[in-house]
Amino acid sequence: MKTTTYQNFVKRWEEVTDLPPQTVGLLTPYYKIITRRLKVMPWPLLVLSSVCIVIALYVILGSAVTLIVSLLQKGF
Amino acid sequence: MGFFVRTVLGFVTRPYETVRSTVERENPLELVFVAVLLSGYFALASLVKVASFRPFLLTRQFIVLAGATGLTYILAVSLFWTAGKLVGAEGKLKGLAVSWGYSLLPTLTWFLATSVLYVILPPPRTTSAAGIAFSILFLVFSATLFFWKATIAYLTLRFGLRLDLGKILIVLAITLPILGFYSIGMYRLGIFRIPFL
Repeated sequence: MKTTTYQNFVKRWEEVTDLPPQTVGLLTPYYKIITRRLKVMPWPLLVLSSVCIVIALYVILGSAVTLIVSLLQKGF
Repeated sequence: MGFFVRTVLGFVTRPYETVRSTVERENPLELVFVAVLLSGYFALASLVKVASFRPFLLTRQFIVLAGATGLTYILAVSLFWTAGKLVGAEGKLKGLAVSWGYSLLPTLTWFLATSVLYVILPPPRTTSAAGIAFSILFLVFSATLFFWKATIAYLTLRFGLRLDLGKILIVLAITLPILGFYSIGMYRLGIFRIPFL
């Protein structure tokens, strides 16, 4: 049993350390904050980002957003 | 089947770990389930596009959609692989291909929802309060799925090609213009107005 647990641990460790961590210079802490929220249950961040972008789009374009949606609806 | 459902749930709730393990498994048989789901969608989309029960036209439409999607999938994976090799990628082609196959799930979800909405609430949208509210909801839905797709695509390139962010951006800078021109071709042929990537 202990061997199995240990083997699982080693396997998991190898998976996790397979690739070196991503760094982006001075922006690394911010990159980590964002990616941490995307790794597990990313939906709150995805929906929040989408809402912000769509609100910005509505502020810029006004009711013309309906034109974009009409085009997208014919896009399949 | 249960394994496929668990993997799909993994892509929804834990994309990072799920993409990593999917690339590690390198099991092309998993794509059979994705292909079945896609076929179901193409059958529905053919009905909506042809808008009449004429077997010849429906079959032709189905073959066109399925063929175009298969071609797009092969082109995308080949481009990512080739561009990845140019920047020194050391990944696994099978792992990349399987994970990219799963990345078609957000695409499928958007196309399915759009096709159903096309029947229930056909365009054009009006500038009434209801029309604007629907438009905002639809755009939020579309953007959310797009970001989910982008997340899976990034992770697929990260684990499938074993690249860092800088090289992934180079790979995208090489592949996206080509896929863009390809998508314009698909648009001109009247197959997909929005690329089924």
